[in-house]
Amino acid sequence: MANVRGCNLPDDLYYLIEKHVWAKPVGGGVIRVGITAIAAKLSGGKLAALTVKSKAIGQEVKQGKSVATVESSKFVGPVPAPVTGILLRANDKLVNDPNLAVADPYGEGWVAEMQASNWDGEKGSLASGAAGVAAYQAKLEADNISCS
Amino acid sequence: MADDKVMIIMTSGPDTPRRCATPFFFASLGAAMEYEVTMFFTIDGTLLLKKGMAETIYPKAGGKPVSGFIQDALDAGVTFLACTASMELHDLQPSDLIDGVKMVGGATMWQLTEDCKTVLTF
Repeated sequence: MANVRGCNLPDDLYYLIEKHVWAKPVGGGVIRVGITAIAAKLSGGKLAALTVKSKAIGQEVKQGKSVATVESSKFVGPVPAPVTGILLRANDKLVNDPNLAVADPYGEGWVAEMQASNWDGEKGSLASGAAGVAAYQAKLEADNISCS
Repeated sequence: MADDKVMIIMTSGPDTPRRCATPFFFASLGAAMEYEVTMFFTIDGTLLLKKGMAETIYPKAGGKPVSGFIQDALDAGVTFLACTASMELHDLQPSDLIDGVKMVGGATMWQLTEDCKTVLTF
């Protein structure tokens, strides 16, 4: 786990840096998706709701299109899919406790799971490993974002 | 599903500041949910679009002024339409309004609502 400008960034995840979302293969072609610590910080740290698009469950969502919506007093915006895939399920725990995504963004606070349509083809478009963390750090520095 | 059209008709204005945040918030939220969102301003809603006005209106004391909510909605891609009849109601000229607002007649409102999945009025 790297800590960049006060933001935790696991180095085993795949990041869509511009949109502050992460992807993690969890077996069987299923990709778990969530928001990063930076997204949690930019939202003001206290979410009013994090709502997965229930109508999209069972449908294919293209990379970059919304799988969920984040609401806080500071920010309202989409959670884009880091890769293309069928939206399988939402994390039900976020219904009653959306701030789990802030408290534990990479663990219990995951947002949704997708059956990736083309993981091997699309994972290269995501930032990963030490190079990925370095690229994310560059963005945080350019945008003057820190989590502390 | 995606890109369904929705409309928010905004009639509330500076006399009722508490009513002036949520409609813009709902518009931004709709855009985040990938609806095609239009806000149609009429009656007192049009006053919120007057240059310099929204900066002075606070739905909640110590909170964000309406101008912040307006900018969030514009940044999210919400279309702002102002009713020409309400411009006359308030003796406003197009040059009195903030950038990013298109003026349309009431007939346009009727035509647009026909195509909308949902219409909300505040």
